[in-house]
Amino acid sequence: MNLGQLRNNDALREKLASEYVFGTLRGGARRRFEEWLKEDAALRRSVAEWQDRLYPMAEFAPVALPSPQVWQAIEKQLNLQGAAPRSGRRSFWLGLREDLAFWRGLGMASTTVAAILATVLLTRQFEPFVPAATYVATLADDKAQPTMVITGDAKRRQLTVKVIAQPAVAADKSLELWAIPKDGTPRSLGLVAAGDTVTLPLPENTTPENTPVLAISLEPKGGSPNPNAPTGPVLYKGAWVEI
Amino acid sequence: MATDDQHSAHLRSLLAATARKDAGAFRSLYEATSAKLFAFALRILNKRELAEEVLQESFVNIWNNASSYQSSLAAPMTWMTTIVRNKTFDLLRRLDDAVEIDADTFDKEVMNALESTNPTPIEALQMSGDAKALARCLSKLEGLHRQAIALAFYHDLSHSEVAEQMKLPMGTVKTWIRRGLERLRLCLSKLEGA
Repeated sequence: MNLGQLRNNDALREKLASEYVFGTLRGGARRRFEEWLKEDAALRRSVAEWQDRLYPMAEFAPVALPSPQVWQAIEKQLNLQGAAPRSGRRSFWLGLREDLAFWRGLGMASTTVAAILATVLLTRQFEPFVPAATYVATLADDKAQPTMVITGDAKRRQLTVKVIAQPAVAADKSLELWAIPKDGTPRSLGLVAAGDTVTLPLPENTTPENTPVLAISLEPKGGSPNPNAPTGPVLYKGAWVEI
Repeated sequence: MATDDQHSAHLRSLLAATARKDAGAFRSLYEATSAKLFAFALRILNKRELAEEVLQESFVNIWNNASSYQSSLAAPMTWMTTIVRNKTFDLLRRLDDAVEIDADTFDKEVMNALESTNPTPIEALQMSGDAKALARCLSKLEGLHRQAIALAFYHDLSHSEVAEQMKLPMGTVKTWIRRGLERLRLCLSKLEGA
């Protein structure tokens, strides 16, 4: 048998690919198959398909957890010490950063922002004394319902948070606004009162460039006890842009 | 299955970040997958310290070769399982002592679900949608055929070794495994089409 014959024989190709992945193709036959693999893309695809079919069988093993020393050994071997450990609390931020769908979704969010921008600009023509908005954002809940509009003034270094939908917040809870960088720790921007318009100071060097996402988390009354991370769930989030 | 696809996309993005030497993403990848991969290696090797050695070697390999995943055609979890399976079998071959093989390869709960005539136990298992689909198709095979497949897959046994283990003629085992794999393929493609 040679590769040419194999190319014309689907059944044989599938059979060999399955036994190769499964492990029962042995010795000379296995080595010859590996040579063919280098030359034949269709064969490589068959192998990948068989791997995707059979390898979930690995999940049928009884549940077991490795000891924490394994990660420490990996870290040591690869010299990764100092890599920020991700505790459970921070995994949301990490998830958000690594979530391609979310970052792609920012594109869609920008469309909403553009609509708001148009409104802001129109309003400005008629009211020339309205302070200049340099930044604008809409924050939406997990069903993409807009709940808050935020405008920022770079000169005066302030943010105005206007609540569109009235979130129900228990008396012992507060809503906290965060600026989230692509890397590093989130920055708290202050507390937002439910059902009210609030003006917050905008810290120096906090811009859509370095912290592209704004988010609201539900915190104990008075805000997160940790200044570098929310402790409660994130209720609303969205991108902000410079206009 | 949407959640499965999302999970896969998540692992894919973690692998891409790992390829850019993002240690935080690598740690997340470890946290998301190490338990499953460790359980698999442990089931084959039966000794925690060996399975942990394999897990360590595998993740070092994943860190060093994450960029080559880009060209891989398989799902991210498949790619990582391949690495762990190869490392496990490499270690197995280096060991002088033969590792004890018992007949119950799979987790008890999984075995019971596979043998049940009722589809609910499979749905209730804590595993990915891909694994559940495979379980549904494996449950349609005869018990002995399934056992032959489990032995070969988990213990790197050849046809003749499976035959010896099951005290059956090699020709019989060979036929069962070949037909079994073909049936799995047909069954899975039917489920995908559904």
